[in-house]
Amino acid sequence: MSVDFEWSTDTDDHRIKTPILKVENLAISYETRKGDVQAVRDVSFEINRGEAHGIVGESGCGKSTIAFGIVNFLGRNGKIVDGSILFQGQELRGRAESDLRRLRGDQIAMVYQDPMSALNPSLRIGDQLSEVLIVHRGLSKKAAYEKCIDMLKRVYMPDPEAVMVRYPHQLSGGQQQRVVIAMALLNNPALLIMDEPTTALDVTVEAVVLDLIDELRRDFDTAIMYITHNLGVVARVSDEVGVMYAGEMVERAVVEEVFLKPMHPYTQGLMRCVPKLGLSKESSYLYPIRGRVPSPAELPPGCIFEPRCDYARPRCRQTHPELRQVAPGHFARCHFAEELAAQEWQPSEDLIADLTALTARKAEAAEPILRLQNVKTYYEQEQKSVASLIGLGGKRYVKAVDDVSIEVPKGCTLGVVGESGCGKSTLAKTIVGLEPLTAGKVEFLGFDISVPVSKRDLALIKELQMIFQNPDSTMNPSFTVGHQVGRPLRRFKTVPRQQVRSEVIRLLDAVKLDERYYDRLPRQLSGGEKQRVGIARAFAARPELVLCDEPVSSLDVSVQAAVLNLLLEIQQEYGTTLLFIAHDLSVVRFFSDYVAVMYLGKFCEIGPAEAIYAPPYHPYTEALLSAVPIPDPRAGQKRIRLSGTVPSALNPPSGCRFNTRCPRKLGHICEREEPPCRDAGGGHRIYCHIPLEELRQIEPVVTVR
Amino acid sequence: MLVKDYMTKHPLMVQRTMPVIEAQRFMGENNIRHLPIIGKGKRLLGLATRQTLLVQPATLGSLNVWEITRFLSNLTIGDVMVKAEDIITIEKDATVEEAARIMVENKIGCLPVLEDSIVVGIITEIDLLAQLMEMLATRLPGVRVTVRMPDQKGELAKLVSAISAQGWGILACGGSPALKDPTKWDAVIKIRNVPQEEIVAALEKIEGQEIMDVREV
Repeated sequence: MSVDFEWSTDTDDHRIKTPILKVENLAISYETRKGDVQAVRDVSFEINRGEAHGIVGESGCGKSTIAFGIVNFLGRNGKIVDGSILFQGQELRGRAESDLRRLRGDQIAMVYQDPMSALNPSLRIGDQLSEVLIVHRGLSKKAAYEKCIDMLKRVYMPDPEAVMVRYPHQLSGGQQQRVVIAMALLNNPALLIMDEPTTALDVTVEAVVLDLIDELRRDFDTAIMYITHNLGVVARVSDEVGVMYAGEMVERAVVEEVFLKPMHPYTQGLMRCVPKLGLSKESSYLYPIRGRVPSPAELPPGCIFEPRCDYARPRCRQTHPELRQVAPGHFARCHFAEELAAQEWQPSEDLIADLTALTARKAEAAEPILRLQNVKTYYEQEQKSVASLIGLGGKRYVKAVDDVSIEVPKGCTLGVVGESGCGKSTLAKTIVGLEPLTAGKVEFLGFDISVPVSKRDLALIKELQMIFQNPDSTMNPSFTVGHQVGRPLRRFKTVPRQQVRSEVIRLLDAVKLDERYYDRLPRQLSGGEKQRVGIARAFAARPELVLCDEPVSSLDVSVQAAVLNLLLEIQQEYGTTLLFIAHDLSVVRFFSDYVAVMYLGKFCEIGPAEAIYAPPYHPYTEALLSAVPIPDPRAGQKRIRLSGTVPSALNPPSGCRFNTRCPRKLGHICEREEPPCRDAGGGHRIYCHIPLEELRQIEPVVTVR
Repeated sequence: MLVKDYMTKHPLMVQRTMPVIEAQRFMGENNIRHLPIIGKGKRLLGLATRQTLLVQPATLGSLNVWEITRFLSNLTIGDVMVKAEDIITIEKDATVEEAARIMVENKIGCLPVLEDSIVVGIITEIDLLAQLMEMLATRLPGVRVTVRMPDQKGELAKLVSAISAQGWGILACGGSPALKDPTKWDAVIKIRNVPQEEIVAALEKIEGQEIMDVREV
């Protein structure tokens, strides 16, 4: 018995086909003291109703400038010098400021990377949201309030009534971003411009926000211009993608085409820079793009990518290619796009030589160099009660790292992953001695290093170095590179005093910076170069163990590939052990021999990297993996979304700490008892109440067709 | 099947200051026949159709050729539009058949869709025809049968169970009172991937019902 309506097709065919936004030959310049700098040149694309158009590119390629150009937020020194921007069939360029302001409020909305900068910290969420409706639509306060509640429910904000009376700082990052998205959608805009809306969020939160964006796009038929540097995110949200390079759009096509058949050498290069989820350093390489993005003031006369292109021919040096159609619906700015198949690409010979060196090593089971036993790092919380003032009240602690035990074999890399606030960085700081240990034992090279760094022996400090996430804040801006790299050499007397300079130059050379950098100041370096100096400094003392706290997360993908390769190379040369903290699971998988997954101060899964990324999983690992944006539109991914945020470490849930968010929660046992350690063999340990046999039967999260 | 599902969201809209000449070009270029005119906060001020843009010759009759040029170039869409108070509109949660009724009774081709007097979309006769087209699965090939049955309870169920007894699925289905015979009802059924003869053979057996028309479409 089945009588059914068994069809569903698109019913939108008869609608008007005018794109919501049509940008043609757009050129934007900034006036500087040295003359006009063309930040964006000859960019064309269009976005239809209900479509998402991704714009990807590395930092400084002009992505955000386009967005600002559309809403005329360019600032005093920016101006549109050429081209047209048609919004809903009407030209935006040259419109009066008052017209544009009305349009922005009524029909165009923007969401920026940092939600905190879009929200007024001194106003309650409710007042900020309803202001939009009261000002633009002239609704009454009460009607506006109700509409806002509806919209907050629409973006899945838990407990919207309570959120309305909170201040922005009382919300988590993901919730703040949801408020901003709700605010953007309140006026039902025809075009929504999103500039890196999820970059500042954790993967799990990012996945939820991306789902939300996709759903809202369908419901509201809003056209979305999505700006990001993350190839995985673009693959997930957009229908069409434009790839920007140094102010020009070098390739544009539907998302599958760009990812599976990239035509422009730059796009092909980008694809080779990102580690694919599931690939490791033994089976694959990252191929960084050589050279760096030219500054807009000194563009090459021919093709702008020519100095970095492996296929460059004389014609590329002389004539500037136009963006032309190379396949139906596929545009590329390259003279020879049809001849360049991505699959046939071969790395150039010097690159091969560099990279083969990397694979020679295979991690062998070695003596553990670092041993952590029941390590606890608690932060005491100040109490406001009178009793605690005189020392009577109970003390409360933030349990940042709670009872963690692990061993790291010599010469291996241990990756630590987890959401923000799970204690990854505290763990690193505890080991290095920047945070005092509350309880437990840390053993390094057989010595007990449970004492703060100031009480440690100089020889011990020398063996333990750290690379930080943000190279800007860890370098002294008033000392030269040479001085800063040389400091550990002088302090630890690694080399005799008169050889310091030559040793620094040797180190700079090892991180692919030449002698000219010796006398430069940090402000004269790019982000990637600064991070290399940071690496050179960490390795200057020839340490046994280097703790890397998110060393590549602030870098562009092509630079990230180069820095990862560099770390691998140095590790190989010196046999250094690395502790690698990151939130990007593909990078950790690629880079590490062992991986530990951390949640709320505890490990939930530890094991060899390949074991972590295949069943049996800890339910938390499973959720993390399902949230990673994969730069491959074909990849199928299970959809597991964690509700809520990480609970406060001040008052962690009893029993299994993950029980409040666990999609596979068994019942009361998870709330009452600490999960047992289940040994899946080969050093793979899972802390979960679910028996191993059941965990083994979980289907893999990621399937590649 | 509500108006909000079938309307055009984010329609092209302009402000009242747009010159008529410009509006004419705008509608031609974008191939649209109805143009809502909005004020602050997307509030509906008026509606222009191609007819409203035609200037009555009588108004120009008393002007000489130079005055006509000036008159026309100063004319904005706000001067010629149908004013908001004269526009028939619909709420976005109304049904499509309600929209159709209003349009038929008033003999008009479009309804601006409002939510608290703010334009959220527009629904035109073309949207309704598209909806009719989709209801009868026009774009998919199949066999279209019209069956005339007595206007009684259980007759449609007989037809449907005869089809499901064969294991077939129904691609589309619609019905209306039979023309000029108030005791009968016509049902249109579309079935996919089944030869016409088999369908006729199966439906002929139903007692009291009559196949009025059958064709491959």
